[in-house]
Amino acid sequence: MPWPTTRRVIGTKVSRLDGPEKATGRAKYSYDINRPGMLHARILRSHYAHARIKNIDTSALEKVPGFRAFHIIKNAGAECRFAGDEVLAVCADTEEHAEDCLRAVRVDYDELPHAVKEADARRLVAGQGTLGGANNPANTQAGGDFATANFDAQAYQGTSHQIEGTYGAPVISHQCLESHGLVAEWNQDQSELTVWASTQAVPNTANQLAQNFKIPAARVRCITHYMGGGFGSKFGPDIQGTVCAELARKTRAPVKLMLDRAEEVTVGGQRPSAYGTVKVAGNRQGDIRAFEVDCYGSPGVGGGATVNFNLLPYVYVTVPFIKRRHQIVRMNVQTARAMRAPGHPQNCILTDQALDDLAAAVGINPIEMRLRNLPPNDPNALKTAPNTYMARRNSIYRSQIEIIRKMCDWDRVWHPPGRGDGVVKTGLGMALHTWGGGGRGPNPTRITISADGSVLVQSSSQDLGTGQRTVAAIVTAEIFGLEPTDITVQIGESQHGPSTPSGGSTTCPGTAPAILRACEATRAAFLAAIAPRLNNAQVDDLVIERGNILNRANNERTPWRQACARLGQNPVQATGDWAAGLSDQGVGGVQVAEVKVDTETGVVRCTRFWAVQDCGLVINKLCCESQVAGGVIMGVNYALFEECIYDRATGRQVNPDMEFYKLGGIQDMPQIYVHMMDMPERGVIGIGEPPTISTAAAVGNAVFNAIGVRVEQAPFTPERVLAALARRK
Amino acid sequence: MSDTKETTGLSRRQFLKGSGAAAAATALGTAAAPGALAAQAPAAQPVPGMGPAGVKITLQVNGRKMSSTVEPRVTLLDALRNYLDVTGCKRVCDRGTCGACTVLLDNKPVYACSMLALEAQGKEIRTAESLVQGAKLDAVPAAFVRFDAQQCGFCTPGFVVAMKAVLEQNPKATPAEVEKGLAGNICRCGTYEQMRDAIYSLCNTKRGS
Repeated sequence: MPWPTTRRVIGTKVSRLDGPEKATGRAKYSYDINRPGMLHARILRSHYAHARIKNIDTSALEKVPGFRAFHIIKNAGAECRFAGDEVLAVCADTEEHAEDCLRAVRVDYDELPHAVKEADARRLVAGQGTLGGANNPANTQAGGDFATANFDAQAYQGTSHQIEGTYGAPVISHQCLESHGLVAEWNQDQSELTVWASTQAVPNTANQLAQNFKIPAARVRCITHYMGGGFGSKFGPDIQGTVCAELARKTRAPVKLMLDRAEEVTVGGQRPSAYGTVKVAGNRQGDIRAFEVDCYGSPGVGGGATVNFNLLPYVYVTVPFIKRRHQIVRMNVQTARAMRAPGHPQNCILTDQALDDLAAAVGINPIEMRLRNLPPNDPNALKTAPNTYMARRNSIYRSQIEIIRKMCDWDRVWHPPGRGDGVVKTGLGMALHTWGGGGRGPNPTRITISADGSVLVQSSSQDLGTGQRTVAAIVTAEIFGLEPTDITVQIGESQHGPSTPSGGSTTCPGTAPAILRACEATRAAFLAAIAPRLNNAQVDDLVIERGNILNRANNERTPWRQACARLGQNPVQATGDWAAGLSDQGVGGVQVAEVKVDTETGVVRCTRFWAVQDCGLVINKLCCESQVAGGVIMGVNYALFEECIYDRATGRQVNPDMEFYKLGGIQDMPQIYVHMMDMPERGVIGIGEPPTISTAAAVGNAVFNAIGVRVEQAPFTPERVLAALARRK
Repeated sequence: MSDTKETTGLSRRQFLKGSGAAAAATALGTAAAPGALAAQAPAAQPVPGMGPAGVKITLQVNGRKMSSTVEPRVTLLDALRNYLDVTGCKRVCDRGTCGACTVLLDNKPVYACSMLALEAQGKEIRTAESLVQGAKLDAVPAAFVRFDAQQCGFCTPGFVVAMKAVLEQNPKATPAEVEKGLAGNICRCGTYEQMRDAIYSLCNTKRGS
């Protein structure tokens, strides 16, 4: 069953089904679950960025009012490798008493050397490393070098202009407003576990807990009806999940363990830093011949994922000569987690800003620079998959640039960098991005139609705030001739079967096809069941239209409810899963920022913002546009405000809060103009990540355009802007 | 505080007794550590204090009297969420920055994380849950729903309450004034643009481009 070619509900603006529950505070998030007899748990964490635990003294715990149980996470002798590393968990009858318990535990440490600044960590050679382990290996490792053949001999041949610039962005934090955590409760004989967890991966969370406690997966239930933000940081139970369930087992009581704000910022997830020196060279027309980058970034203390710098030069992948050198810098802060389009915003910062600097050196308009260097449509892809990003990328970006050029009145507003009168200078800046966003299975979805006309859709997939619940209702309403509010959607419970985690913008393209196919199967079963009871109609003659079942043989219409009543005692039920052909992946996007820079105070205000976003079949236009505007706002925060600031001396983050870790409020944010390039023929493509990618680079370019000097590092704070202006003078 | 006596004629103790913070500060001062506060207290006259054990409190929440026993150190936010199961006000920063815990206290928006439950006794507390009667949504949350001014929704009840407060205090508020009233609230998903649509609609003002 393909997507319907004429669409009544799909692609329109539909208010979220759960909007009223959320807006009036009645929606119960994991943080809001209060179970009878519930205890509260807290985690004691290392204050040192690197230390070995000498001794843990829990003897005073018994005297603390309300104390119930403790669980040691790291034993004496173990190393804590960042400030915030878990040592021990306690639980008590109230949160206040749990806090008292933390203060009653005495932990002695041997402090060990740490490094929490990339520059410090890079200086440490083998034997001096601060990551622990036997021989103190260096904190750095090669991240993989690459060079086009004959780069050194030929890359710069015939180039007339060359720039070298430094660009970068610091470690930032996800800052989920609902912190990580859960409520865990065992049944009486402790054979079954239920958790209400704040997670982007409902079945995965249940399965991991089942493994940890060595009980059958079918006996662990994870419930996530509402979820207060994840952005890539919530894919499993985490340490606190296992600890919470363990304390619940020990005490035979439900236990709640939610991270507090300081914990959320210091252990709940970080986006890796990225810094690089970029050399770009081209001819006087602006054709880039060489892109050379030496960069590094920190994934924190873990050795795992950091920025995938192999994407450089980002978007402009067909630059003839490319040379990359990158280094992974590990330091004593929490390990990185995926964060909304992992790696892409950093790569965009390292590419698109350098591009504008070259455009300025050559003396051409940045739009001209981009049009000249866009990768061509891939001729092979054009033959085999003409609708894909590879096949159409050049056409996509060209048409988007033309659209946004008009939207923002670029040709009138843009000026050569640094021109403009007055103290407050206005600038425009552009950047480009790409993302995957394809769907996959398994995402089995079950639909039940009952004799009362009600339609129930069930799957274990989760709604992170993206509007997934409403997506299910829209697709189902479309097929059954109903309204979205007629549909009951039950999601976010692992008992409904497997589903894919919500990462990589895959949820809508992974589930919408499954819902469509479930509708198809249920419709077939429904029509087969009622045909004999509709004056012995032939199944093939029956079609579902808005509100009615039409018998094309005699043009008889039976209203939906009456038709359903013929089901009697036997509801129809069928399932469907994701299949290829209904979703696609690969999008392009272009963004333009307008900023006003006060050259006396250094304050940058982003005043207007334009986003043109390529996507496939839009299911809910309202939520789709919300996603794009939200991505832009997250990107403006990245550009202007956010930074995890670590103190060199103590190794601790000095702003693990929301006061000195800045996030913009409504008055700090630009007016945003969103243009969706809807391509329904491609099927559904995820949209959560792409719109946040190029925002920071676009703001950076706008600042450069305003003041004529590059502010090297995000966030573009007054201090950094003033320092850059001082360099110019 | 140290020069309170000179400037007002009040002793520190008298001042504390008269202020809302008196009960808690006294309780903590005498129970935890015999600090400056306790040292100043006349030894012969024990002052009635509260805590550290729980004390019975009654709060007027969304038109209902609700009672529980909480320690004096419990914030209004934690009393509502952990002791009275009123969870529309959210705990996010817990330090008076983000506004997710905003409630109306005698019609004034306050951060519930930044006052003690004891101090809120005798005052009328309203949370976002009060802005719906049956299926009938108040105009403010209805605008949030209609214009999709929420994504994950965790900050939303705080924004809704803050916006309600502005419009109650000044039904003729301009969109700029409403925005100013939301300056103490933070959203992470980035719903401000849709929130502006909601604001313009509530202010009966057409939004220009």
